[in-house]
Amino acid sequence: MPAVDYFEVECDEKKGAEYYRQIANDVLLDHNLLRVIDKLHIFIDPKVPLFIATGTLKKITTRVRVRDFANINPQEGKMTLVISDETYLAPMLKIFWQRFGKERVDQPDRFTVILNGLSVDPKEIEEIVVADPSESVFKDLIYAFRCIAPEGFRIRKETYGSSRFSFVASENILAEDIDDLVAAKFALMGETP
Amino acid sequence: MMLVPVTYKGGIYQHDVVTDLIEDLGGYVVQKHVLAQEVVLQCFVPKDDIELIREISRPLFGEVTDSPLVGTEIAIVSPSLEIHHLPHPSCDIAEYTRRLGAKSNMVGMARGVGKRIAAINDEERDVINEHDIAVMALGNFEHCIEYKMPNLRRGIDVPIVLCGGPDKEALQKIVDPPVEGYVGNVGRFMHRTKEADELGKLDEIIAEITRVLEKKREEIAKDPLSVAPARLMNLIREKVPAILDVTSPTPLTVQMTGLRVKLPYDTFAPAIRKVEIEDGITIGDIAEVLPSRMRDYILIRVRPFSETNVVI
Repeated sequence: MPAVDYFEVECDEKKGAEYYRQIANDVLLDHNLLRVIDKLHIFIDPKVPLFIATGTLKKITTRVRVRDFANINPQEGKMTLVISDETYLAPMLKIFWQRFGKERVDQPDRFTVILNGLSVDPKEIEEIVVADPSESVFKDLIYAFRCIAPEGFRIRKETYGSSRFSFVASENILAEDIDDLVAAKFALMGETP
Repeated sequence: MMLVPVTYKGGIYQHDVVTDLIEDLGGYVVQKHVLAQEVVLQCFVPKDDIELIREISRPLFGEVTDSPLVGTEIAIVSPSLEIHHLPHPSCDIAEYTRRLGAKSNMVGMARGVGKRIAAINDEERDVINEHDIAVMALGNFEHCIEYKMPNLRRGIDVPIVLCGGPDKEALQKIVDPPVEGYVGNVGRFMHRTKEADELGKLDEIIAEITRVLEKKREEIAKDPLSVAPARLMNLIREKVPAILDVTSPTPLTVQMTGLRVKLPYDTFAPAIRKVEIEDGITIGDIAEVLPSRMRDYILIRVRPFSETNVVI
């Protein structure tokens, strides 16, 4: 795990901690989230039971533009876009429809989009921002931690803001002093409020 | 005549020679898979005749291997059907047992998750009890398994093999009263089992299942069944032709002490009870034909010799 600066799983049961370290690693890797996490501390107490994950995020500013996944061939009266990666095709089409109207956007097959009768500079189209992955990072993170946390821990408390996040889950009602415990876990990582 | 479970693998060309031979020797073909040019037969054959089958299938490049799980139906019990437990490890275990000839079913519990809230309901209990053995794939924490195991096993009277994250010794210590089998270091994980040590773990689970089933077979041998379930399978296939139209992979599932017939109970149970086996003895005389909790299938439980006084 080279990308993460700090990664600890704290648990009374040594074996359990080891397994959860593996699970967290697998899930975050599968969801492509290791590149956004800077520090991560997971605390599990099966006796209460309680699951706490606290961490900090790296700054990510990689906004996805049209040029990142499409080549534009300007022809007379039309522009042909050759798509190399379909991931952002749907949001791109949505933006095109909004901006130019559906009648000007034609998609003959999966990897081709043709824009008809536009007087826009191809450069301008290349620069259109299609998606901002940092917007959905929080949602993705919470989803990933729901996979990592033991199942049945349906009572959750999540916080997110200024590059820090915390995720608390239990099957019982959370104690009132849970925020202090979360702060203590942040302190263990060398993060103070 | 002692029948042993084996798997035959060979080319499709002239494989009916082998099928006929097995039937002539008094064996039964339990499952037959045709995969492109290859045929896999899961069958029971007389122990003394295995060499003969090897001999005759040699020119056909056939291969006969022992597979102790043929003719068993195994329940892989998972606390839920969520991504936490599926597809790994529950499906990995189910698939591995299938490769060795068992018919495995996944039983995902509605509320088997968590520690305090874990519970089993009557339908799950009854479905699990219809199998030969239940493999419970639980989580990683000793404390949690200790707490929830009494709830999850309530009412289950088939042998249980418990898989969990802690060591085998730890599992043995925390489960009271003891279950029949334990496999440690197989808790919840989120990746496919493909490394050598993980496959070794799966082999260990199979070994444990085999050991427990072997014990059950010995128990059954003390009071033998009135008729071999595999024989009933052939009979029903002959006498109840509706079974041939069922599209399930195994319309007739052979178990150690019975048979699952995937036909609606209300329509077909009377017909099955009346099927004659030999000398006027019908299935209804020596077996219970019961409605299964699985869909509207029929479950046949063959009664032992001590109850019926006949062995055919």
